[in-house]
Amino acid sequence: MRTLQGTPGSPGVAVAPAWIFSRAALDLPEEPVEDPDAEVERLRDSAEQVAADLDARAAKAEGELAEVLEAQAMMARDPEMIDVAAEAVRKERTPAARAVVDAGETYAEALQSSESEYMAARASDVRDVCARIARRLVGADDTFSQMSQRSVVVAHELPPADVGELNRDLVAGIATAQGSRTSHTAIVARALGIPAVVGLGEVEVDPTDEIAVDGDSGQIFVQPDEKTRSEIEGRAARAEDRRRHLIERAASLEGDTRTRDGHRIEVAVNVATEVELKAGLEAGAEGVGLFRTELLYLDRTNAPSRAEQSEAVRSLLGLLDGKRLVIRTFDFGADKPVPFLNLPSEENPAMGVRGVRLARDQPELLDDQLAAIADAASSGDRIAIMAPMVATAEEARWFVERVERAEMEAEVGVMLEVPAAIFMAEEIAEVCDFLSIGTNDLTQYLFAADRQNGRLGSFQDHFAPALLRAVKTVCDAADGRAWVGVCGEAAADPLWAMVAAGLGVEELSMGPEAVLEMRVSLSESTMHGCRAAADAALQASDAGGARRAAEDALG
Amino acid sequence: MPEQEVTLDNEVGLHARPAAVFAKKAASFDCDIKLVKDGNEANAKSIMSVLKLDVTKGDAVTIRAEGDGAEEALSDLVELVGSL
Repeated sequence: MRTLQGTPGSPGVAVAPAWIFSRAALDLPEEPVEDPDAEVERLRDSAEQVAADLDARAAKAEGELAEVLEAQAMMARDPEMIDVAAEAVRKERTPAARAVVDAGETYAEALQSSESEYMAARASDVRDVCARIARRLVGADDTFSQMSQRSVVVAHELPPADVGELNRDLVAGIATAQGSRTSHTAIVARALGIPAVVGLGEVEVDPTDEIAVDGDSGQIFVQPDEKTRSEIEGRAARAEDRRRHLIERAASLEGDTRTRDGHRIEVAVNVATEVELKAGLEAGAEGVGLFRTELLYLDRTNAPSRAEQSEAVRSLLGLLDGKRLVIRTFDFGADKPVPFLNLPSEENPAMGVRGVRLARDQPELLDDQLAAIADAASSGDRIAIMAPMVATAEEARWFVERVERAEMEAEVGVMLEVPAAIFMAEEIAEVCDFLSIGTNDLTQYLFAADRQNGRLGSFQDHFAPALLRAVKTVCDAADGRAWVGVCGEAAADPLWAMVAAGLGVEELSMGPEAVLEMRVSLSESTMHGCRAAADAALQASDAGGARRAAEDALG
Repeated sequence: MPEQEVTLDNEVGLHARPAAVFAKKAASFDCDIKLVKDGNEANAKSIMSVLKLDVTKGDAVTIRAEGDGAEEALSDLVELVGSL
């Protein structure tokens, strides 16, 4: 058994045979070809088939993915690249599969050395296209539709063209060498409930290997021993049981989520993409509590056009069909650099010019985003807009005024994640329709503990009484002035959510995978019990104590 | 041989979609078409070749056409670059 450590990409566990998706796994033929003309013919046919397949996928895709696929189809038909490969076949008698991979590599290397991030990203598109042509030439599998049994997909990275085709019934788990928690593969895997480990560095496995994936710890086990195997299988079976049980308990749920004693608590979903929204709605989400708009900006060398931004909002509104969409205006800056802004680097980006601070610095960027949202809205849509990183009542007033100038019907709010804003929550609530507590950043700033620093992980416990008291302060200050929501990771934990409801939180927004369980848990609780749990947890002196106190109070 | 210099004035240069649009248009003509930047020549009908040229905003490039319909190809492509 070999154990490899990566990053947890999507929770859950699975064990199944490997299904290798990678160029490295391609066995490129070496033998010189006998009939070069026939081989060139095969090359052209295969390239055209790949191009046609990519065109077909592009037609079904939307937005940026569609553009990537269209460009990839053109790459497969690229006359110069095909000529370079054909020449190698004719002159060196190189097999077409090898010739096309080699030809692509010369372009990929040139692109990769470009200073532009965008060009470097195109290098992997080129490699992906050439690998597709080569796979077709050697008759190797290249899409999940050819997968014959339930497997763990092992890849260097999953090209965007394929992530969209993941099928929960066939793909038991995913293990990739590249990627992070926020990469496309991880987002889609979480939305679909497929366990995934990403960023493994290297994954060298044989097609005959069995792979166990632990998406909770971020480990994979190649050829797991009996003990590991049965442990993983046991956890997978328990998770499946829980899921089935949950679906049974959820069967009686109808409409809005209410406690047994009739208090409404809105269960919403956090999204950056349509895939997540679809998954959330399927689980019964009552709206979107956090739409992260950064995906539209990151890795871009130009600002997204107003039409493009508007289209992204409109596609979500279409799916929501009158349910509320809470849009967070762009939350980036030195911490998440965007190429087209050319922002100066900062010593301490987490505390630097980001979120609403960047919006004040470059108001035209915010106005453009607000105009795009206004364009997307039509009657019957419920839109709410909030600003990230607000620290003062004055900033909140500035933001509200900016939204008012965009002339649209929308609720206006701010994210509470800066400690100073907690103490000014009353004044901020006076000018806003709602306050949304971002527990991840708030915890980081409350404890002055970098959330990316693993050695400070213990500070990120959402049951910390300091965080609970901050939530109480906000709820008390907002009472009668604005509604309060929570959209950090804490909101996905049912026990924490009950404590928050007891403190006065009216809306909880979480990843799509947590929605169903949350609706069931809240529906089986009482507001009376939630308040008792909140009172008990507030008295505790540490996170462990607060958790136990809440559990005890709820019996 | 007809040729003309144009300056890329759009935000992205010939990076993203514009490269695909440009190469597609070039491929619709029978004549040979080259795109030249800083002495480096690219086959205008090849998206990979065009991308490799790394044309960004403000870059001056020369479009060169040779063969049947070269004049028409040149004027169409210059117009296209202006509208990107």
